[in-house]
Amino acid sequence: MAEPYLRVEKIVKKFGPFTALAGVDLEVYPGEVHALLGDNGAGKSTLIKTLAGVHQPTAGKLYIEGKPVTFRSPRDASDAGIGTVYQDLALNQLMSVTRNFFMGREIKGPLGTLRMAEMDKIAHDEMLKIGIDFSDPTQAVGTMSGGQRQTLAIARAIYFGAKVLILDEPTSALGQKQQMEVLKTIKRVKKRGDIAIIFITHNEIHSRLVGDRFTFLALGKVIGAGKSESISNEEMRRLMSGGTEMGDLEKELAAI
Amino acid sequence: MADLNESDRMAKETGLQRMIRRPEMGAFVVMIVIIFALFWASEGKAFNALGLKNNIKIIAQYGIIATGAAMLMIAGEFDLSIGSMIGFAGMAMAMMLKWGLPFGLGEATPFTAFIFTMAMTLSLGWMIGTVVVRSGLSSFIVTLAFLFFMRGVTEVAFRLINQSTQISGLPDYKVDSWFANIIGGELFGWFYDAWFWLGGNLNRRGEQWVEGFDARFLWWLVISGVAYFVMSRTQIGNWIYATGDNKEAARANGVPTNKVKIGLFMFTAFCATMFAACQVFDTNTSDAAKGNLMELFAIAIAVVGGTLMTGGFGSIVGVVFGAITVGLVSNAVFFIPAIDGAWFRVFLGGILLAAVFANERIRKRITGGI
Repeated sequence: MAEPYLRVEKIVKKFGPFTALAGVDLEVYPGEVHALLGDNGAGKSTLIKTLAGVHQPTAGKLYIEGKPVTFRSPRDASDAGIGTVYQDLALNQLMSVTRNFFMGREIKGPLGTLRMAEMDKIAHDEMLKIGIDFSDPTQAVGTMSGGQRQTLAIARAIYFGAKVLILDEPTSALGQKQQMEVLKTIKRVKKRGDIAIIFITHNEIHSRLVGDRFTFLALGKVIGAGKSESISNEEMRRLMSGGTEMGDLEKELAAI
Repeated sequence: MADLNESDRMAKETGLQRMIRRPEMGAFVVMIVIIFALFWASEGKAFNALGLKNNIKIIAQYGIIATGAAMLMIAGEFDLSIGSMIGFAGMAMAMMLKWGLPFGLGEATPFTAFIFTMAMTLSLGWMIGTVVVRSGLSSFIVTLAFLFFMRGVTEVAFRLINQSTQISGLPDYKVDSWFANIIGGELFGWFYDAWFWLGGNLNRRGEQWVEGFDARFLWWLVISGVAYFVMSRTQIGNWIYATGDNKEAARANGVPTNKVKIGLFMFTAFCATMFAACQVFDTNTSDAAKGNLMELFAIAIAVVGGTLMTGGFGSIVGVVFGAITVGLVSNAVFFIPAIDGAWFRVFLGGILLAAVFANERIRKRITGGI
């Protein structure tokens, strides 16, 4: 068994009296998609914000390649190779694809001038690697589809050294076809073999299509985890609804 | 269907289509119309030797402050203190020239008066910017406060030190000081020499009429040129656009948005000081009311030039066209005596409104109608 790139051990996060995470374990391996599932309020957002260095855990440890690490800021996390692609994607609509790709990390020549041709080429090539052929990197991001924007944000995170890619509900708020585009992108990234992906979703079908390993959260606790083949569809549905039996829910609904 | 992908839905554009979509296109068309209309209505007088000089004088003046205002607007903030900053800077410079440098440092030369003033206005710009980014308040309100504050300080300081709200009768520094001459004197004499040599530019006695352009022409070209280069070709330019478009996204990617904004508030202060210096060394006078309403002209020109009110989009070339348009219209009354000068404001209001509508359409086209 290969070494996990990132290991989360008994992470606890309290906001005052409220316990958002009550001792969560998680392991992510390079070349694997780890699907993180759970209902609203299960603690998914808190967990990824802790991994991204936005929140500091109350207790518990993070290990990168077996070594314990602490993230004091998002900068620490991204230096350690954790790239987070949030739902809003952190893109600027009025700016071109290239300018967004290199935002804050531009390639400079003397006098702070931009090497635009070089940047255009890199942006184009990096996006092509994970699936979209964007002929015109000078186009404004506002004209791109939701799926293309997602790809741009993912390509950017990878190019700037992400070893763990955290995707926060990348398929929500997209049309059917675009959801498939994003899933294809995820598979292509997985195929590279050197990047671990944490895929947060509400969608059982999507997680089944790309996920290698699953972790189910409910009320700040892990209520189920395992490899894709060891979890049946029925079991999965039960865990996704927070551990209650589907049959019970049906009865409750019928009683109204 | 299978071989069709998303990017194929973007129609390939020809060079001409691209040009029409540029943010400065509307401003360019309006400018061309105004140039021809003014030429026709003034029977060519607006562009004879003296007319050209006078037009460029006001255009350059507007252009200098509008460049600063536009760059700040692209970063998503306003500066309503530009006009008061002009008054303050003019007062400071003239007062030092008349009464000597502060802290008993002795007589002021044009150069030292300029440097001391610039240091003060840049500090004020830094302060305004810091208040805006630290408080998170709207720059509209913060700079409105500074509009009143600095105008008041200017008047009070004038009365306390000088007993009068104007200074006139300063010696003509341009004679001895190369520095005063390069800020307030005349330049590009070769242009008018060539015109004379070619048989034009004659006064009634048949001698050479106009000697050169006002020096502010040069400063406008320099400021616009540097601004154009920074905005389109440098990292700072990318940061300015990113800050104005979506500040949170820019910050998440490591753009120091607060520093960008503070720097631009200092740049508008710099532009206001250049404006004031050009006036002081040109006329050898100063007045507490100088620069009144200039902040609004600067914003109007930036908008006419295609800058979006909401930030993230705009072009320096557009601002140049906007300055030419507004400058020509404001001067038109001198060349067409039959019209009432107040028509200028009616017209400015009209094109401003038209520009806002046009800009809104451009933004929708770029963001796909959001």
